[in-house]
Amino acid sequence: MATSNGFTRRQVFRTSAAVGGAIAATPLLAACGSGKASTKNSGVADTNTIKSVIPTYKASTAVTPDIPSVQGANGAASDPAFLTFPANPAKSVTGPVGSGGSYQAVTPLWGSVPAPGNSYYTAVNQAIGATLTDSPSDGNNYATMLATRFASGNIPDWLDVPGWNVSAIQNFAEGVDKYFKDLSPFLAGDKILDYPNLAAIPTGGWQAGVWNGKLYGIPLWTSAGNFPGLMFYRADIFKAAGIDASSVTSADKLKALGPELTDKGKGQYAFEDLSSFLYQVFNIPFSNGHTGWKRDSSGKLVNGYEVPEFLEMLNFANSLATSGWVHPDALAGDSSKAKNRFWAGKTVITADGNGAWNKDDSKSGTAANPNYERQGFKVFAYDGGKPSMPLYPAAGMFSYLNKKLTDDQVKELLRIANYLAAPFGTQEYLTARYGKEGTTYTMTASGPILNDEGNKVVTDTLDQLANGPAVVFNAGAEQMTKDYAAWQADAVQHAYKPMFYAMNITEPAETAKATTALEAVITDVRMGRKKVADYQSALTSWQNAGGNTLRTFYEGVAKQYGTGN
Amino acid sequence: MASITTQEATPSKRRRLGGVREKGAQAPPKPPRMNWRLRLRRDKSLVLMTVPALILLALFNYLPMAGIIVAFEHYDIYQGILNSDFVGLAEFRELLSNPDFWHAFENTLVISFVQLILYFPIPIALALLVNTIISARARAFIQAVVYLPHFFSFVLVITIFQEFLGGAGVLNVFLNRHGISSWNVMTNPHTFKYLVTAQAVWKEAGWGLIVFLAALAAIDPALYESAAVDGAGRWRRMRHITFPGLRGIVVLMLVLRLGNALSVGFEQMLIQRQAVGAGAADVLDTYSYIYGIGGGFGSATTFGADYSYGAAAGLFKAVLSLILILGANKLAHAFGEDGLYRK
Repeated sequence: MATSNGFTRRQVFRTSAAVGGAIAATPLLAACGSGKASTKNSGVADTNTIKSVIPTYKASTAVTPDIPSVQGANGAASDPAFLTFPANPAKSVTGPVGSGGSYQAVTPLWGSVPAPGNSYYTAVNQAIGATLTDSPSDGNNYATMLATRFASGNIPDWLDVPGWNVSAIQNFAEGVDKYFKDLSPFLAGDKILDYPNLAAIPTGGWQAGVWNGKLYGIPLWTSAGNFPGLMFYRADIFKAAGIDASSVTSADKLKALGPELTDKGKGQYAFEDLSSFLYQVFNIPFSNGHTGWKRDSSGKLVNGYEVPEFLEMLNFANSLATSGWVHPDALAGDSSKAKNRFWAGKTVITADGNGAWNKDDSKSGTAANPNYERQGFKVFAYDGGKPSMPLYPAAGMFSYLNKKLTDDQVKELLRIANYLAAPFGTQEYLTARYGKEGTTYTMTASGPILNDEGNKVVTDTLDQLANGPAVVFNAGAEQMTKDYAAWQADAVQHAYKPMFYAMNITEPAETAKATTALEAVITDVRMGRKKVADYQSALTSWQNAGGNTLRTFYEGVAKQYGTGN
Repeated sequence: MASITTQEATPSKRRRLGGVREKGAQAPPKPPRMNWRLRLRRDKSLVLMTVPALILLALFNYLPMAGIIVAFEHYDIYQGILNSDFVGLAEFRELLSNPDFWHAFENTLVISFVQLILYFPIPIALALLVNTIISARARAFIQAVVYLPHFFSFVLVITIFQEFLGGAGVLNVFLNRHGISSWNVMTNPHTFKYLVTAQAVWKEAGWGLIVFLAALAAIDPALYESAAVDGAGRWRRMRHITFPGLRGIVVLMLVLRLGNALSVGFEQMLIQRQAVGAGAADVLDTYSYIYGIGGGFGSATTFGADYSYGAAAGLFKAVLSLILILGANKLAHAFGEDGLYRK
């Protein structure tokens, strides 16, 4: 459901559309009646079991942020922000790391694959005293690659699995048990203190790495302010047109910008396809990348598809499309060039993952137009009322170790993970993210800057296997860091935890087809090809073909395991 | 034995020497059938040459066919083909009761029909046209230009169409600048069948041209000359010499085309599915992919793979295609043509 335009190097995970993970429950499926899905796997855990495998949290004291984290509602918090890189990086790892082992890893990469055996890999391998060979795979087709690997059983030593790819893998919960190492004996409780940098990853991240009551996943890019994304605008074009972005506080006011910002002769359109990013604006229950559940006034579980706001949202999106204010290429489904359109000023308002707001984006944008400036709309609700922002699990991506590894190998890899997870501002962080000073990066007053060699070889590869808690940092672009930190500090105030928050649930497979079919109709309505009335009949089909089964399934989950709130 | 051979050889030799067979003469007796060992000895080297191809065919086409079993199972990737539950025709029942599947089936037939009517005659017409060009260099040049798009991928073809005819393409930017309402053919689900046909024509017509040009080259020019001498005009020569000369190859191509009628362009549909919606762009191939394997592809993102269901959809299509190709072949034989093989 999430469009690929959400993914941007570093904070790739934030854009995720995901079906979270793994309560694949035999008793629940049996209760559904039409149990076509494999019912061989059970392994549902109650909260106490989960608590018993969660590692102890011990915050790192290595560095103090320039803009501290802001506490928000419902446990949300903004990421700490740094304007400059600490002058004297501390050391966070003592003693030897690897013991000379050789390991194969596979990670997703949105961008071109760097040459194997390059100077960055060499620098990290030297530092960790082992040989990690990463084979990055295209992030946009990663799910297909994973599904094939799971079907064939060809699993590398260390594998990155983004949460939003899990739904593409048949019965992932069963696969986790079959292919991955249970890390609970190595990390549960105080055992993690052997790996202090892993212990500094907040509990919320580890929680989401629990499958079938055992700790499997090493959480990546952990943050207490993980959101589906936000709506962006071209601040320079707004300024030139004399529009004040802070006046946009409702869907109607947003829509009113349509004719003002559309100039077809110039090839400029007001909107990109805003896709599921609109769910937040219309207060539609949204959980981890797809519509979520809530209880209506009678106490019945209703899906996001079924709430009246969903129709409002479709009406809104449909009217933007049919009024001719959405870029035609976006309506033609070309989401891969959404960023290029925004950079070139062909669209003025877009929606994207939080990760899109970074220095690389600014570099690409100013290349197309020197005045380029990306800014985010403050969170608002469609009716001008109280806004709400669904919180994602603290981690959306995880890395897993192969089950075939021996205990000693697992410990070596965990020590390596501990190294890669070094918090921002430490020496190990510099090596893990930037390689070797003088070879791949130069140290400036504001922080490390990749040199030509670095730009070629340093990209998100090894740091997709383990990394520390998220921070906001854009070397040399202090204003951007301040803007983003301010946006996040505001957004966390409106955060709420959707029902079944951070519970790893594998939905019954036979419901998937109904959802796939309904999503196709939603796209048609959003793009202006079908009418909102068509959606209503499609919704009835969805309910009969799978929606009601899902409802019963989730009622069962709620009864047995709670709602995660 | 020897005498029989001599007796038979004599009349056949005579006929060959005499050239024209007399009316009412007896049909030549069939040559005695060699037994398979003799034939093998005779064709040894030819048979040997086919071995590598046969191995490839067995390895990559026939062996994987065993995987068809998953269509009759609830295939579970962790249990493997051998241990998954066998469910008989359950997947097919589910498939055939799904309106979305029948919709995809209908789309396939409609697009296939439109392509047959609009696309099939074009390479023939092109071949006739190119064949009239006398200058060999001009002919080679036109051929090269027309069949170049065959080497483009559909991604490129669709991008080119989008850049020219899309809502923000050359044509519509021009229309918008002059205050004329835009004409967006790339996102119109109703005309999608003509759009994909136009794309297919643009890409493949030149390639199809080669086959028909070869067939035209095989017609003896002496026939044209003598017909012209007898006073036959351009049209009569085409009707009585060119068309009969082309008939065999046209029927063969038609048989092949019918056998492939249910494959109407997988990439083309998948790439444009987001632009026109599943209602217009879902055909049997994409249906089997999207609901069976899925993965993320724009709006084609699936919510869970169902290999058995996808395999059932694929098998259904394959069986229909086989029936179609056998039927078409029979039809070809009824018309007295060779079809796929000589009867």
